[in-house]
Amino acid sequence: MKKFIAILLTLCLILSLVPMALAEGAEPITVTVFRGDPGDQPTEDNKIYKKIEDELGIKFEIEFLAGNLDETLGLKIADDVYPDLFDGGNSAETLENAEVLIDLLPYISEEKTPNLYKHIYTNDRIKQLTTDDGKLYIIPNYGINYNDQIQNYCNGPAFFIQKQVIAWNNYQVPKTLNEYFDLIERFLAENPTTPDGTPYQGFAILCEGWRHFCLINPVQHLMGRPNDGEVLIDVNDPGFHTETFIDKPYAKAYYAKLNEEYHKGLISKDTFVMNYDQYIAALSNGTVLGMFDQTWDFGTATASLETSGMYANTYLALPLVYDPEYVDGKVIEEHYLNGTVMNKDRGFGISTSCKYPERMVQLMETLLSDEWQKTLQWGFEGEDYSVENGRMLMTREQYVNRSDAQWQRANQAKAIWESMPKKQGTMDDGNAWDPGNQPEIYFEQMSDYDKEFYSACGVKKPADFFNPPIELAPYGEAWQIDKAPIDIDYNDFLAIQDRWLPTIITCDPAELDANWDAFVAEITPSATVYTNFMQEQVLKLVEQATN
Amino acid sequence: MTAANLHVKKNKKRRDIAFPIVNTIILCLLMFVTLFPVLNTLAYSFNDGMDAVKGGIGIWPRVFSTDAYKELLADKAVYQAFWISLSKTVITTLLNLFWTSMLAYALSRKEYVLRKFITTVLVLTMYVNAGLIPNYLLISTTLKLSKSYWVYIIPTMFSCFNMIVIRTYILGLPEALVESARIDGAGDLRAFFQIILPLCLPVMATVALFVAVGSWNSWFDTYLYNGSKKNLYTLQYLLRMKLATTQNSSNAANSTADALASASRVAPITVRSAISVVSAVPILIVYPFLQKYFVTGMALGSVKG
Amino acid sequence: MSTVTKAQSPKALTPKKKAGFFQRLGRQWQLMIMSVPMLLYVLLFNYGPLWGWLTAFQDYQPKKGLAGSPWVGLDNFKFLFGREDFRLAIRNTLAMSVINLVLGTVSAVLLAVLLNEVRNRAFKRTVQTVTYLPHFLSMVIVVSMAQNIFASNGPINQLLVSLHLAKEPIFFLGKGEYFWWLVGVINVWKEVGWNTIIYIAAMTSIDPCLYEAASIDGAGRFQRILHVTLPGIKSTFMVLLIMNIGHLMEAGFEIQYLLRSGLTMKYSDTIDVFALIYSFGSSKPHYAYGTAAGMFKSVVGIILLFGANKIAQALDEDTLI
Repeated sequence: MKKFIAILLTLCLILSLVPMALAEGAEPITVTVFRGDPGDQPTEDNKIYKKIEDELGIKFEIEFLAGNLDETLGLKIADDVYPDLFDGGNSAETLENAEVLIDLLPYISEEKTPNLYKHIYTNDRIKQLTTDDGKLYIIPNYGINYNDQIQNYCNGPAFFIQKQVIAWNNYQVPKTLNEYFDLIERFLAENPTTPDGTPYQGFAILCEGWRHFCLINPVQHLMGRPNDGEVLIDVNDPGFHTETFIDKPYAKAYYAKLNEEYHKGLISKDTFVMNYDQYIAALSNGTVLGMFDQTWDFGTATASLETSGMYANTYLALPLVYDPEYVDGKVIEEHYLNGTVMNKDRGFGISTSCKYPERMVQLMETLLSDEWQKTLQWGFEGEDYSVENGRMLMTREQYVNRSDAQWQRANQAKAIWESMPKKQGTMDDGNAWDPGNQPEIYFEQMSDYDKEFYSACGVKKPADFFNPPIELAPYGEAWQIDKAPIDIDYNDFLAIQDRWLPTIITCDPAELDANWDAFVAEITPSATVYTNFMQEQVLKLVEQATN
Repeated sequence: MTAANLHVKKNKKRRDIAFPIVNTIILCLLMFVTLFPVLNTLAYSFNDGMDAVKGGIGIWPRVFSTDAYKELLADKAVYQAFWISLSKTVITTLLNLFWTSMLAYALSRKEYVLRKFITTVLVLTMYVNAGLIPNYLLISTTLKLSKSYWVYIIPTMFSCFNMIVIRTYILGLPEALVESARIDGAGDLRAFFQIILPLCLPVMATVALFVAVGSWNSWFDTYLYNGSKKNLYTLQYLLRMKLATTQNSSNAANSTADALASASRVAPITVRSAISVVSAVPILIVYPFLQKYFVTGMALGSVKG
Repeated sequence: MSTVTKAQSPKALTPKKKAGFFQRLGRQWQLMIMSVPMLLYVLLFNYGPLWGWLTAFQDYQPKKGLAGSPWVGLDNFKFLFGREDFRLAIRNTLAMSVINLVLGTVSAVLLAVLLNEVRNRAFKRTVQTVTYLPHFLSMVIVVSMAQNIFASNGPINQLLVSLHLAKEPIFFLGKGEYFWWLVGVINVWKEVGWNTIIYIAAMTSIDPCLYEAASIDGAGRFQRILHVTLPGIKSTFMVLLIMNIGHLMEAGFEIQYLLRSGLTMKYSDTIDVFALIYSFGSSKPHYAYGTAAGMFKSVVGIILLFGANKIAQALDEDTLI
């Protein structure tokens, strides 16, 4: 009898579990996923994927990028079966152009998918997200903020300088291009080498491959604009006048300045042939005093400096502008930080081969709920974080774990989370969606050197050196515009800069004018095509957004 | 012995001493030039990741650490991938040797009426390449070989280059060998397997090495056809994935704090070096067994030397 | 021994001159067993995909396929040859492959001969093992090391300056003119040991009696090398040479792609680099450009191959076909 009851109870238990497992009322499926970024396969017993499988009945078969992204996408498109969830990484336009993805709009409605609906229809976001013919292929993976945006530091483009130089200058921070180079010159004159005798390099320029933005992008920022890629747009002009800046006289001023500094010995010849590894090595040595870059691009070097205790050699981001002398006496206001821009055309699309598109949209919807977002971004309460007085907190160990690749494989659904629509900014209860932005955690992680440094400078956090983010222009950020229709000219436009700018920086000052003219003459045809195209696109986007 | 004869002998002897010394010096120099970067790679692979980023490591690790190897070997998938790699390398090498050597023999027979035709067709394969996409579509869409183990074996059964290497070797063997086999009444199959094949050991060892190394090192086939099947990953593909991951770790992170912490784990240069070392090790183990065949001729030569 | 083979073999040895093609073929059934399966295999795997060349004359779009994509005649080729960078790419490809071929062959033969003269087997084995190691280093690592070694303040420049061979450091990496030679030197370093394997294997087939006979004839070491060793590997050498001449349009991809910079672009880009950039380098793949460039490469390769083979035939040397 006891046995019978035991069996009965077990049976009841199993029966009660079954409907729970299939709560969504669908049978278990395996979804094929392609990610346009490299990554690590999760472990078999990954706790988040297990939760998704248990509760939603969905298992993932993930393929990560292993070769050249564009080549890989080219091959995948040529095949007749596509992955169900298709992330094209930084070239996702390719998927849209090849008509590989389905339109998501028919699946999204206020009743069926309230989270997604709110996500993309709030603030008329939908206007910017849809294509010319009113279709939505990809819901952005990043850049949709809830409540307040937390800005602790500048993660994007800036001029950088070693903190020791600023400390040496009595914590006076340069504001313009001339002040910046003048400070480096003065510092170098007094300290030509590191304490152990290695010569300092005044200013480094990374030119390798797609990272050539360190060489070709600074001028727009010196002119007081955030990152629009290779064009300068006048947002105060009702016609949104758009022009390429690299071939203009105000750009010549920057490269002539670099030429001058090159001949003063601040810039080494080798910087133009340096690869990314060597650049990181030089930065990690603490021998490079300054450069133009984006913060995320040299995270490895910062980490290396910090672990070696070389805090004085870590970098401070500076929002430099041109001195009035370069721009007809105009005083330029800096705007390095931009309003949050939606990461348009980046993230998962659902391919035409997918047999259960409805369920995939439902998956996005479910994962966008607050509970799931907490699970995906913070983990399990009690295990990965704790809550005190309503504040979500992490111990140092819990926080460090998050960056351990092995730990991530077992405890985070990184691959899925990164490409899925997500909530950023702050939760309704005031906690940050991203643990790294939670003020308690951010200031806890800051080193003593940094705390002292920032207080000596009279600021609380690095972002205080910058103007607050300006309002995002109605067209977003122009670098997001797909250049497919003019790709050959666009490639030419970039290649000519790659070829000429190092020559201009290193040439004899007497030949500078001639070289500049030759450069402008060579780039004008492709620059014209590019300008016209961009002007047209910007106006189209503005019209879409304001209509 | 005449005086003149003696003189010649003396002269010869002096030269015989001078040459090996010069030769040894040259080869030692070459070894140094070669070895330095190799040891350098080894040193990096055994160095602490964060320290290695600063560069400037010679042939000895500055801050010893096995983290890079731990990172590589901590992944259980590495062992599965190792078996896939090993088994497909062995199978491919055996199949390749079998077909290629037989073919080489057939095409070395001057009386074979299809010789010229087949040779031309085969040789052209080294130069005619339809391009990535058509090849991909044939194997993936037409033959449906993708997402299977067979894609490692079936498309790699033949290499024209290796066929030519073996054929050239066979052509260098005395024709009388085959003739005498014929007189004994042997057909071509028997002549090949009983007479020619045993004599081909040095060249077979060479080709085995080429095929095995090629198969062991290939990652492109996994990349093209089996990227979504993690049970079928080969070791090289897995290593390459790790390489790509470590390279991009910094820009995938969405906050500096994350980037800092992830970077403090393993820096790319150490992992990349460890990957190079791990890739080379299996071949280093196999090579001595094959090398014996490369030096057989020398053994005979040294008897009288 | 079966009577059948007995009956057959004399015929095979002395084929009747007037035997028809199919008669002879029938008698060679064993050779056919050994060769025809691979012929069919190659026809499927290597010649099957050649339909893809048709897309070089199309504006190929995978969605529409071969049948649906619009035909554009020679437009793709016109586009390629109309671009200055494509013409430069052809020049760079040829220059780098000729340099690679000459440096690579000379160094490998030289090293093989030197190794062949080593009597101490342990030493020989050590040199062999050490010199093939770089073959296994990934190109990424090799290029990274080369960039450090050839940098303005790298060891080579330090040596040159201290020996007064150069007044100021030479900008090896940033001068386009040096690029081809840099690639040649790096390739030699990486592959010289590996390339000797084939020559050393060929040397093992040289009859030791020949060396003995030469010694008895009073030949010194250099004469033995000249008259026994080198002729002994001649057929291998010739075959490899013809093969490589057919490959003159292949100068590699990875090394150039990793070593190139804005300053050297005009000298660094090979046809393969060009093809990758133009066929996939934007958000709308131009499959046809890559195919057209590849087709051009293949056709030139085949012409070179047959040319080299013909010349070898005329000179009465060993040929490939």
